[in-house]
Amino acid sequence: MSFTLYNWVLSGNCYKVRLLASLLDVAYETVAVDFHPGQQHKSEAMLALNPAGTLPVLVAGDLVLTETPAMLAWIAATFDPSGRWWPTNDARAMAEVMEWLAFSSALTATSGEARLKAVLDRPIDLPKALAGAERCFRQLEQHLVERRFGGGVWLVGDHPTIADIACFPYVALSPDGGLEHDAFPAIREWLYAIRGLPGFKTMPGIHELHELREGEAVHG
Amino acid sequence: MPTEPIGLSRDLPAKRVMRTMVDGQDIAVWRSASGKIAAWANRCPHRGMRLSHGFVRGENLACLYHGWHYGAHGRCTYIPAHPELEPPATIMAQAFSVEERDGLIWVASDGTAEPRGLPGGLAPLRSLTFQTAKSEASEAFSSTPFEGNPPAVQSSDAGGIVLRVDVDSRTLNIAAALHEANQGETTAHLLVSDEATPAQKVSLSRWCEAVRRRAEAHVTTRGQENAA
Repeated sequence: MSFTLYNWVLSGNCYKVRLLASLLDVAYETVAVDFHPGQQHKSEAMLALNPAGTLPVLVAGDLVLTETPAMLAWIAATFDPSGRWWPTNDARAMAEVMEWLAFSSALTATSGEARLKAVLDRPIDLPKALAGAERCFRQLEQHLVERRFGGGVWLVGDHPTIADIACFPYVALSPDGGLEHDAFPAIREWLYAIRGLPGFKTMPGIHELHELREGEAVHG
Repeated sequence: MPTEPIGLSRDLPAKRVMRTMVDGQDIAVWRSASGKIAAWANRCPHRGMRLSHGFVRGENLACLYHGWHYGAHGRCTYIPAHPELEPPATIMAQAFSVEERDGLIWVASDGTAEPRGLPGGLAPLRSLTFQTAKSEASEAFSSTPFEGNPPAVQSSDAGGIVLRVDVDSRTLNIAAALHEANQGETTAHLLVSDEATPAQKVSLSRWCEAVRRRAEAHVTTRGQENAA
């Protein structure tokens, strides 16, 4: 079982799928969709596949997924036999992951929107998007600060989950839209931990760690 | 000239870079692989790129743009495009005085950094940034009740405030070192008695959020009054 990802390389949501597939070492096909300037995601062929006209779209046989959290859940449930990335055997952990999957949509709607304004000059109220992103970041920072008091690194439990992957891109990319990470030390630490995961994959605007490139271990 | 608390030492591990503003100066603070800390003008002498975007390579900071390396005292040590060249001693990042004491990083915009004294026995809690001036943040720390009781102010000056709170029949010290990095934007670097448990730290961290809400609500109210 593999899948096809309808993909735009600069999309943070498309990157979530590419990142999880890379971390789980899953091979898949991509179809490049020219989101900008081509508006190809609004083409008749793409609307026939996904009436919402959004990216990414994941197709596996007769399964068509159009919401990123659902794609992450399906990929983890299908390709992670350990069950740690999407902990369905633990009611509490599963519910906590779902909290952060919902939160990731708020990040897309705030930090992600600010970036679309800054990068593509979409008609977006930038101050409103940035104020919303700041509120999201404060909430995330508070959670990560509390996790750290107990020795925790990840959003949920003692292993990274799809919650971390869902929240990572639009936090990491926020400087593109004008929200820097300087005021959020716990967020900086969490971003660094994710970038140090084995199998981590970059996208434009999110670099790999230099020490990994040089072959040093981060958590060694 | 002022020495400002710019972060918790804990939040700048080896091989990391952070950015701060002290007295209007944009500064990159970084820690080498062996743990040496340095504070430099946040501007690569080559093309002006922010050095806070750079990468730590061992005992050097490498600029993101063209990879020029800077080492001890800010001196350029390596230029990738001219690997055989020994860089002239005149190519230097402007260095600022930086000191670590009581778990805090202190940077001076001019002259030698002189950290202010804090009570002993403190451990890092967290840093959080208020959209208020320093005085408003300080006022909110002394006036926001913790578990129903106002904190007892031990000392307070322009640089910060030391408080005492009762938690679980224990008395804990809390120190807030305040840094107004930009006008109307203040970061509180918080330390707490090192015997605080993780659960007590969570309670105190949430109280800090309440302190910030109080300080920012005060600023918003005042703004509306001024507009009216």
